[in-house]
Order: sequence, then structure tokens, then C-alpha cells
Amino acid sequence: GAHAKMASPKTVPKDAQVMMQILKDMGITEYEPRVINQMLEFTYRYITTIIEDAKIYSTHAKKSTVDADDIRLAIQCRVDQSFISPPPRDFLLDIARQKNQTPLPLIKPYTGPRLPPDRYCLTAPNYRLKSLQKKVSSSAGRITVPRLSVGAVSSRPSTPTLGTPSVQTVGTKVGTPVSLTGQRFTVQIPSSQAASVKSATPTTPTVQNVLINPSLIGSKNILITTNMVSQNSSGDSTSLKRKHEDEDDYDAL
Amino acid sequence: MAAVQDGQMELDAEKETKPEILSDGTSNLSGNTASGTLSSSPLTAAPAGGAPKMEDQQTLIAVLQFLKRNKLTDSVEILRREAGLGEDQEDSQATDGSGGGKGDVDGGDANSLLSRVSITSAAAPQSMCDSPLMFMLSAAGADDQPDVSVVLSAYSQQGDPSLYQVYYSGLKNFIESVLDCHRAELSQLFYPLFVHMYLELVYNNHENEAKAFFEKFSGDQECYYQDDLRVLCGLTKKEHLKGNEVLLDFRTSRFVLRISRDSYQLLKRHLQERHNNQIWNIIQEHLYIDIFDGMPRSKSQIDSMSGSLAGEGKREVNKAKVFHGLLKEPEIEVPLDDEDDEAENEEGKPKKKKTKKDSLGSKSKKQDPNAPQQNRIPLPELKDSDKLDKIMYMKESTKRIRLGPENLPSICFYTFLNAYQGLTAVDFTDDSSLLAGGFADSTVRVWSVTPKKLRKVKSAADLNMIDKESDDVLERIMDEKTASESKILYGHSGPVYGVSFSPDRNYLLSSSEDGTVRLWSLLTFTCLVGYKGHNYPVWDTQFSPFGYYFVSGGHDRVARLWATDHYQPLRIFAGHLADVTCTRFHPNSNYVATGSTDRTIRLWDVLNGNCVRIFTGHKGPIHSLAFSPNGKFLASGSTDGRVLLWDIGHGLMIGELKGHTDTIYSLKFSRDGEILASGSMDNTVRLWNSMKAFDEVETDDFTATTGHIHLPDNSQELLLGTYHSKSTPVTHLHFTRRNLLLAAGAYNSQ
Repeated sequence: GAHAKMASPKTVPKDAQVMMQILKDMGITEYEPRVINQMLEFTYRYITTIIEDAKIYSTHAKKSTVDADDIRLAIQCRVDQSFISPPPRDFLLDIARQKNQTPLPLIKPYTGPRLPPDRYCLTAPNYRLKSLQKKVSSSAGRITVPRLSVGAVSSRPSTPTLGTPSVQTVGTKVGTPVSLTGQRFTVQIPSSQAASVKSATPTTPTVQNVLINPSLIGSKNILITTNMVSQNSSGDSTSLKRKHEDEDDYDAL
Repeated sequence: MAAVQDGQMELDAEKETKPEILSDGTSNLSGNTASGTLSSSPLTAAPAGGAPKMEDQQTLIAVLQFLKRNKLTDSVEILRREAGLGEDQEDSQATDGSGGGKGDVDGGDANSLLSRVSITSAAAPQSMCDSPLMFMLSAAGADDQPDVSVVLSAYSQQGDPSLYQVYYSGLKNFIESVLDCHRAELSQLFYPLFVHMYLELVYNNHENEAKAFFEKFSGDQECYYQDDLRVLCGLTKKEHLKGNEVLLDFRTSRFVLRISRDSYQLLKRHLQERHNNQIWNIIQEHLYIDIFDGMPRSKSQIDSMSGSLAGEGKREVNKAKVFHGLLKEPEIEVPLDDEDDEAENEEGKPKKKKTKKDSLGSKSKKQDPNAPQQNRIPLPELKDSDKLDKIMYMKESTKRIRLGPENLPSICFYTFLNAYQGLTAVDFTDDSSLLAGGFADSTVRVWSVTPKKLRKVKSAADLNMIDKESDDVLERIMDEKTASESKILYGHSGPVYGVSFSPDRNYLLSSSEDGTVRLWSLLTFTCLVGYKGHNYPVWDTQFSPFGYYFVSGGHDRVARLWATDHYQPLRIFAGHLADVTCTRFHPNSNYVATGSTDRTIRLWDVLNGNCVRIFTGHKGPIHSLAFSPNGKFLASGSTDGRVLLWDIGHGLMIGELKGHTDTIYSLKFSRDGEILASGSMDNTVRLWNSMKAFDEVETDDFTATTGHIHLPDNSQELLLGTYHSKSTPVTHLHFTRRNLLLAAGAYNSQ
């Protein structure tokens, strides 16, 4: 939505008028109307956080009331946490000097795609399946091909759906150009003893015992839902974790 | 003494051994007693005899430590003797000094390393016991001495705060009374003095005086400083300063002014006549006056060069040798089989299969003196595919249209529909076959401009099965099932502010607000690497013209040079006072130009990371840069709607193109450099006659050391055409190899 006409000053609450005045003072003439609401929300949250922190500090100092020193301290502590500013100039000049002293490395010829060592790349598969265990009971009738589904935690469109790894040598469907060597995935088939199913209702009829290596996950917000099934896997239940990679900066300002 | 160039002679010999960052003020304390007093200095040495005050003692201790560290033992002895400091005092003071704030600092901000100044509340102006301590953080050395730098970095109290208005008015009256020719030059003092005095008042917690000072004098400042003043207006307390890195840097760096000798003498005489030379102290402390011999500059000349946050560039900054020539192209055999030239085939001409060596136009075997050596920086070798590309390039360039004032290019506009103001970056490949867009929803999308669709490489299993010896193996490795017009690349977690294709069309770079730069493969359309280094939004990134290297610039005020196979940057270009918004490689890949929000453009040498040029003159943040194809000139566009042309070799501004009414986000030279195209937020593309603008420069004589030139006001003559889009700001411009101009932007329905 574009900048709609501003609400008439008479009907606007005083706090919002203050915000509008601030915007005007800073020279901002066009803005969406919801900017005021956002500013008010931010202000409210910031102030309450500061005041709560200040109350904690003042009780710690065994004072009866919250005074300016407490507020100041609260602000300082929050500044270091939330509003991190870029490093100061002298520091930058210093590290620049250090970095710029090393000569440029020579380029090796004929090396194919020039990429950093694998552990710094995002090209490794970001999951692997546990090895097949021999204890699978034969009474289980069907052997289903497990499916791995990866769903996004939030609305950010950042996760591709990984293909279904079949049991033979694959590795390519995950789209890793570098590690094209065949990766053998063996899968633990869930036992059919439904009585010992401990998990909550599975959201998807899928996925058992998937170990995820979070450090290799390039895109964020991957939520792997897993089922913990049967006493075979009870030993693995500790290794199964709900791995979600959303960073906590959603709460950011 | 202000750190002026002619002041060097007056310093005693001892000072020359000290690192240049040691200011004259501090050296006065130590060396003054040994040598004659400096006649013009208003300082007195540390008060003889009587116990120095608390803050003086801190200062003295700090200076003592500094001298010790630099092994200036004689000075140490002298200082100690004169100041009556004992050995033990010094150590204890040192530990005190690096500890918490002093008792008489208001507010008791315990962890503030910066607040070392005591606020004396004396109503009468202080005598010069509070020596003005000059501090330069930028040069080497002082960073490992926190106590010294702590003391030296403070704004010391220059007299009574309530008299600041008087001081400033006094200066104002003086400047208004001088001769016209000097007035323009001396008026340059107003802005930096105003800002520094205001910041000093704020820093020392004189809020009311600061506000009154601001109200009274902010209206006098030049119009192009209004944005800065608005920011300042919101800063009324010392705590506000803490988060604002730009202003902190402004405080500690020195504003450079270029003043002719005559004007300077005038000023100096005036300020030293009066007993109350507070202004003089402030000038010494915060300004760097670069004196030149020659005619004073006119107001228009000054206006054209001023506007940056740090003043102008010092003369010697722009004197370093820059190799702006192009690298020699490798000799490649061009087979003249006319498979691709269907027009000729139709006529039935006999095909002559003649190979010819084409060195891309550079006939001379001699090395261009302005060109860098081939191996000055390591560059990747040419692969076979690169050689094929070059052959294609040469073939295309034979079909190139020669542009000129009578022969303007056609413009083909690619409009992004339904982007909802989310299009934040665009790039074309050099052969104009692919188009990439970076969006605010953190996606990068790649489109094929030609009818040929985008395909992914087959999976490994399938690749095993193809015939590797066939001629069209490069086609067979592609998976037809994945063919589509466009592909979406997911991975970033913030708006994508910069995209750049690699010259070999295998990779795509994208930089984003999440602080990372990502390398994507255009064969598999997946992300290969995430380069983490900037922890703040990265505003721009670009591949080198030869591939392998890329540069990125961001909010942390530095630009970084990376190589695709190193996970850490190879070079860090630090020096800007504010965010780096635009980064471009020189065509010979040896230099990087960065444009910044501090309204300067800097040119950096890739080999050693040094800043070799500083170009000031823009009045707003710079958002676009373009090198001319011959490497000699640079064009820049900013929010003030002007395009400025710079001569890199001489380090001077050579042209100003006025016409746009809004920020210029894209600049491109045509393939032979005759036409400069600029695209702006005002929905227009303008074409300028750059050949003419540069020709006029060639004949001028640049030997004037002042480097002041009269810019002819010929924007109208140079403007060849203005082309309006309906309501689409122009985000990117690109000349195809045949000199067709492509433009891209997102339709803005408001």
C-alpha cells in the first residue's frame, strides 16, 4: 500500500502525534500510515524492557525506588545486546592493515571450480539417514520407502523440498553438484509393533530416524518432523531432536 | 599549532622523531621546556611548581606512557621532572586511568572509555591549563595504548560553554568582513566548526547550551549539509553519540579544508590577535588545513568539491600513481568459419576458412605506461571456455554499432511486473543472455533473456550414462526436464541488495541484508558458498572482470575483496566514514572504487589495500559508479541527482552532469565509451555525450598543483536525450555487446 492520507490530527492519539512529529523533524514526509503503529509498538516494548531491567537493577542494589542510574544502566546493557553498532574505525583500520599485508595468494591453474574447502561450503547434503539395523522383524509386511519431508518453519520461502532418497545409491537428488559420489542411504524400517508407539500423532506419515547435521544446513528454517517409533528406536530417541534452524532474530526490532 | 603544512618548520627537531600522530599540543608539554616556546601557541606547559589538577595529571601520565613506549627517554625525564611526577604515581594512575570514569564526570558512566574529560563548572573561562589535546586515531600506533588514547580522545573543555555562541559569532563577523576573495574560502570553516562545537557541547553535557547554539547557527550552514544537521539535531545527549558510529568517526577524524595561503594567514592573524582564541584551539584540534599557494578559490569551485563528511581530500592523497590502463588482451586465434553468420551465408558467398589473429584492437606491442603489469595481481588463467567466450566477444564487437551524438542507442526496457516495490538489485550477464533480480523477499531470480531456457545439470546417475566424447556434451549434461524460463534461488534471509554474474556465466553472487554474500551455481541453481564477514547489511557486490575475485561493501563501512576459493576476505578496504554503498572493479581488475554514504568515492589498490584516490564533491550518498571502458575515467551518481565525472590519473573532477531530479541508481558507459547512460528514480534514462566531456579535458593543463579547475556548466550540451518510462524507476542499465541499451526496473504503480 502506498502512503495514504494521514489521519487528521484531531482524532489521532497523543503518542501517535508525537511519532508523526518525530518523523517530520527527521525530514521524512512520505510514509505508510502503519509506520506510526510500528514505531509505537517498538517504543512500548523498548521502554517496558528498559524499565523492567531497571527495576531488577534497583532491587539488586537494594534501593526502594528506581532512579536514573538504574535506567541508565539498563539502557547501556541493552545497547550492547540489541543495538550492536559496527566496529569503530580504528579497529577496522587495524584489521585492514593486518589483512592487507599478506600478499595475494597465487592462483593454481586447472583446478576446476574454485571453491573454499568443503566445510565452508554449503554443498554437502544436509541430512543423512541412519544405517539399516538387522533387527527389523520380518513380520512386518510392507517395506515402505521412507520419505523425508522438509517443511518450513515460518513463512519465509527458503527451503526447497528435498527429493525422496531411494534406497539405492543416490545423493544427487539433493542437488549437490560437488559431492556427486554415490551416497548410500540405508533406512531403518519402523517395526510394526504399533503398541509401543510413543510419539504424538505424527504429522506426516513419514520419516524415521533421520539424523541431521545442523552445521551443514545452508538454508534456514528447516523443520524436520520425526517419529519415534518402537523400542528399537528408543535408544535413538535421544539422538532425535527437533532440529529447527530458525534463528532468533525474528524477534528482532 | 594546527597541523598545517607550513607549521612543520616551527616545530623543534625532537618532534620530528615522534610518529606523526602525536599532536603538537602534547609534544609541547614534553618538549616545550627543552626548546623555545612556540610563539603562536597559546599553551602553557604544565603549571610549574604547583600540583597539577587531576585531569592534567591524567593527561600527563598518559603522555608519559606514550613517550616511554616510543622510547623517547630524554623527553620522559624532562617531562617527569617538570611535572613533578613520581614513578609510582604514574603506574597507579595508569591503572586508575584505564578503570572507571572519573569522579567528577557527570552521570557516572562507568564503562565509557571515551569520557575522560572533567567538566569544570567554572564560569570564568579557563586558562590554558586544559591543553587542547589533539588526537588522531587513524594513523598507526596509538591503538594499543588505551589509556593514552582514552585521555587524548576526549573533547577537552575549551572554555566556557555559554560563550561558544560568542566565539562563533565572532568568527562569523570576522569572516564576513574580509575581502570577497577570501570570504568564500574561509566560509568553509563554518560547517566543521559548527558541528565540532556542537558535538563538544553535547559531549560535555551542556545540553541547553548545545540546543541554543544549534538553533542559532544551524540555519547559516550550506544547504547541502542539511541532512547531517537533521541528524545532529536529534542528538542532544552524550549517550546519543554512543550508538552513532558515523559521528564518532567524524569526531575523531579531521575535517580537511583546503585554503590558500593568503586566506590562511589572514585567519591566523585574526585568531591570534585576540586573547580569547578558543576557536583557534578548536581548529587545531579538529581541522586539518591543507594550505596551497595560489589564487583563492571561488565559491563555485569550493561548492563543487565540498559536501563530504570529512571535508575534501588532501592533496597528497590524490597524487599516488594509479595504473589505470587496461591489461593487454591475450592473442587468440579467431577461426573465421561463418557458422554463426547466417546473413552472409544466405547471400551464398563462398566461405573462406581463414584464421586470423586478432588482438582485440591493441596493435602496439609496447606496454602502456599507465597499465599495470600482467602479473601485478594474480589472475586466473584463461580456460578453453574462456577463449571461446572471447572469440564470441570479438565477433560480436565487429557488429557493434558506433554510437555518437547523431547515433543514439535504442533502449530496450525490461520491466518487472508485480514486484511490489521489492526489486532491489538487477544484473545482466555480459553477453546479455541472462538477467538476475534480487528482491526484498530474500529471493534471487534468474531469467533467460534469450529464447533459450534455463536448465539444470543432470543428476550424477544420469551423467554417468551420457557419451562424454560427443561434440555436444555441454548440451547433453543439461537436463531437459528442468527447463524453464526462470529459476528462483532461495537461501538468503534478508532483502538482496546486490547481484553480480561471473564473466564466465557459471556463477552468480548475491549480497543481502543478512550480512552474507552467497555464491550460486548457474549450472545446478543451488547455493555453493556463503561468505560471512560483514555482519551487517551488504549493500553491493561485484565480480571482477576476469572472475575469481569479487568485492563487497556494506554497512560496516568497509569493502572487502574476496576470492571464490577463500572463505575469508583477502583485502579489507577501510577508511570510509559511513556505509559503503557501491563497489566497482576497474576494468583491469587492479583497483576497486567504492562509493559511500559519507559522500566520497575512494579508489583502492587491490595489491596492497591502500586508498589511492579520494573524490569529494557529491552532496548526497553515492549509489552508482561506472568506469569508462578505457579505464581512465570514473562516473558517479548520487542522491543529489548529479553525475560527476572524475579523471583517475590526475585525481580531479572533470565534469558535472545535471539534469536528473532524483537519485541516480545506475550508470553505464557504452562499449566504446562514447555515451554515458544514467538511470534514476525519476523514471528517466538520460544519455550524455561522454566523449565530448572527456575530450575537453584532454586539452586542459592539469599541472596546476591546486588542481582547481573551472567546470564548465555545459550539462545541457552534453545531454543527448531524456527518455521517460511511464512510472518505472530505472534500477539497472546494460549495453549489449552491439551497443543496444538495456534497462531494467520494477513497475511502480503509484
